[in-house]
Amino acid sequence: MERETAVLVELRDIEFAYTKEETVLKSVNLSVRQGEWIAVVGESGCGKSTLVRLLNALLRPQNGIVSVFGEELTEHNAPLVRSRIGMVFQNPDNQFIGETVEEDIAFGLEGLCLERAEMERRIAAYTDKLNISSLLPKHPGELSGGQKQRCAVAACLSMEPEIVVFDEATSMQDERSRRELLGVIRGMKEQGDYTIFSVTHDVDEMLAADRIIALQNGTIRADCTPETFFKDIELLRDCGIELPFRLRLEQQLQARGIEQSAISKNIPHKRVKQAVEGGHGRDRLDETKRGGPIE
Amino acid sequence: MIGWTRRNAGDQSNSEAVIQLTNVDYTYQAGSPFAATALHDINIRIRKGTLVGIAGGTGSGKSTLLQLLNGLLLPTGGAVKVLDHTLLPNMQKPRLNALRRRIGLSFQFPEQHLFEDTVEKDLMFGPMNFGSSRKEAQSKAVEALKSMGLDEALLKRHPLTLSGGQMRKVAIASVLAAGPEIVMLDEPTATLDSAARRELIALLARLCREEGRTILMVTHRIEELMEVADEWIVMHEGRAVFQGDADELADRSEELDHWGVAVPEQLRCWAEWTARLPQLAALPLPRTAEDMARRIEEAVHGFEKCESTNIASKEGSQQESAQELNDQADSSMDAPYRHEKEVSACVTS
Amino acid sequence: MRDKLIIGRMIPTGSRVHGLDPRSKITAMLLFTAALILSNGWPQLAALTILSILVLTATKIPAKTYLRALRPLRWLMLFVFLFQLIAGAGNGTVNLAAADPLLWSGTWGPFTLTSAVLSSALLAVSRMALLIVFTAMLTFTTTPSMLSRGVEGMLKPLSRKGTGAERFSLMMRLALRFIPALLEEAQTILKAQAARGADYEEMKLKEKARLLLSLLVPVTVGAFRRAEELTTSLEARGYRIGAPRTAYRQLIWRSADTWFTLLFALLPVGALLMRLTV
Repeated sequence: MERETAVLVELRDIEFAYTKEETVLKSVNLSVRQGEWIAVVGESGCGKSTLVRLLNALLRPQNGIVSVFGEELTEHNAPLVRSRIGMVFQNPDNQFIGETVEEDIAFGLEGLCLERAEMERRIAAYTDKLNISSLLPKHPGELSGGQKQRCAVAACLSMEPEIVVFDEATSMQDERSRRELLGVIRGMKEQGDYTIFSVTHDVDEMLAADRIIALQNGTIRADCTPETFFKDIELLRDCGIELPFRLRLEQQLQARGIEQSAISKNIPHKRVKQAVEGGHGRDRLDETKRGGPIE
Repeated sequence: MIGWTRRNAGDQSNSEAVIQLTNVDYTYQAGSPFAATALHDINIRIRKGTLVGIAGGTGSGKSTLLQLLNGLLLPTGGAVKVLDHTLLPNMQKPRLNALRRRIGLSFQFPEQHLFEDTVEKDLMFGPMNFGSSRKEAQSKAVEALKSMGLDEALLKRHPLTLSGGQMRKVAIASVLAAGPEIVMLDEPTATLDSAARRELIALLARLCREEGRTILMVTHRIEELMEVADEWIVMHEGRAVFQGDADELADRSEELDHWGVAVPEQLRCWAEWTARLPQLAALPLPRTAEDMARRIEEAVHGFEKCESTNIASKEGSQQESAQELNDQADSSMDAPYRHEKEVSACVTS
Repeated sequence: MRDKLIIGRMIPTGSRVHGLDPRSKITAMLLFTAALILSNGWPQLAALTILSILVLTATKIPAKTYLRALRPLRWLMLFVFLFQLIAGAGNGTVNLAAADPLLWSGTWGPFTLTSAVLSSALLAVSRMALLIVFTAMLTFTTTPSMLSRGVEGMLKPLSRKGTGAERFSLMMRLALRFIPALLEEAQTILKAQAARGADYEEMKLKEKARLLLSLLVPVTVGAFRRAEELTTSLEARGYRIGAPRTAYRQLIWRSADTWFTLLFALLPVGALLMRLTV
């Protein structure tokens, strides 16, 4: 069924370099359908951030074609395309332009030339959605990193983009905010209105995505599901990804011939089921993948 | 060189304390509305040659704590004893370089504090401030670079031309160059990829085990340091709410979430397995995946023997056998990570 | 920590001063400054002080907060005071000719301190304090975005075409937003270098020069990094200089603004008149 959705992003034979000596991306081909969640992974400096910056013409490739929303990206349509692609960056401080949360969200909306009433409606709707309504009059100095990042997401979503790019958005966050933000992205995915790119080092984020694009030395090394990705030990190593503890344990157990099913079990599964049936929002988002909290 | 091995519980209490905080309070300038970042009644003791993890959420006081230990901040109450220095409230500002040579502090994103035009000069900055001659400083720079697992070829490079991971390690080396007995690091792994994190932690563990340095590392990911940390301190709202080893931490895992830190995977997995195999509960928490797998293997073999006798009674309801199926289907490596869609499909089938 | 520098942050109390158009407040501020410069005696200063107190009271912000705004500049004010005193005392004889009656004088070596010198030094400091407090009032009652929008509104007629006003207002807005962050960063860098043995309180003068370098380089690099990230983020949010925009905060000039501006317009006029008549 999902196969029928439209292709939203198409990269063909992309080549990109900041300087003549060093090519960052070469022969990159990629097509992404509406509603997909793509995790872009790879070692630091492999060109992940560069890749996503091509989508809204923050950077322009030396060679190749970038098509977004069915149109080739040019000088002329770049402003329009930017208004349909939202980005959330790593450091929440440096994307906070307004001096209050409200002003900051409004800043983007002003650029869309919206009427005051529509701005008010959107600010109310998206801060409510992200549970930050109470923070509206706050100065960024009064907010925690996690709160600031939520505000950045609200500012981005209020512009009602079709594509949202998270460029290492969780990497400066503490554990709690990291999980909250992941919950937010999962919620967005479920809602189905967004096509999501997340540039990330975070294993949980990769596992939650539909598709992994692994970059190595400026080319796409792998384009696969997270399931396939995490089975390929060599690939993981090349991408600078340490197998998470749970997977390492699984591996060790398998090597010892212990299958999960060999023991009378069902502790984690019951939880998964409960979560799927009853849970909603953050709780479920946090718990399902992990097999539930500890008793 | 002395071989440093993990201490067992027996000799812990005897070893010498290099840091001792007694009823320490710290309040930022009176009248500041950011009193939440202050510290209240901190009592901790850190033994020589141990690797201590300090965990806590944003604003819990972790960074303030580190700054008290090398006199960047003076306590407003209680006493801070570090090596043979004692820092007290309202004391006349002591000369602290003698202390700071022996206790190094690497701030968050330390690569942002490099300033010289070569790596070598930056590495020599510390030693020369602490009175080394140029020659001594040079050899200390080389040594520090090596102990961070970096190549000497980097010495002549400009710090800004290095990769992110290399810059981080150079910056940490610039603290090590002064030869501190205690090394404090504020979230040294932040924003690194997971392989780089693991490598850095292995290097820090080596500093501790092989060179006998005391390491204090702030992290908000207990998981990454679980394998090597001898001891944990958890900070929450300016209080040290926990000090103890991994097993004691495991006993209080239900409080971790309230303290704003995530329960590490090691504890989650172990708890799941002890719930299935209760005989595991008596064992100490295995820190590595290998250890844990071995413990489980031992337990399973013992378990299977007695289980085989009453296996028939275990064949239960429809629901259970559906889950059995589910187990088999997912016994591959990615089992715990399958998508909720797939899970619900299995459950309803 | 970061609120040591409290100027530049709006304190919402919902007072009538808060509700005024930023253009009228900025104009008032300019007129007030002009009056301060023109006033050269205690009667004028007393009048300005009374007016300031009235406005400050109307903001409903506690007096303590205004005093806190003065605190970071206390050393500068002390310096100005002493400078005036010494400069005046050095050539005190010149000042003796002033119209002020000689109430008191004393001589220490080459310095002759007179009541007139003391009075003029005090006057200088009081003017400075008034100016700081009034600036604080402006920033306490107006958000930086309103402030920059006000400046933009006032500059627009000057640069009819082109984007000068918009550029200036964006620059001002970003500066107000990021200066505290940069100061904080500088503080951290200072601490980080102190941890590497470069504590400026324990250094010789020659070494202090080196410390300056160890501070300046990272601060500059950091500022550039921030600027770059900020530009990217502005661009990603579709911002282009000169592109059409609507305004979330509309500037509305009410009659209260006219009265407020007129009131302040009287100040420099009055001061000038008094100066001419004396």
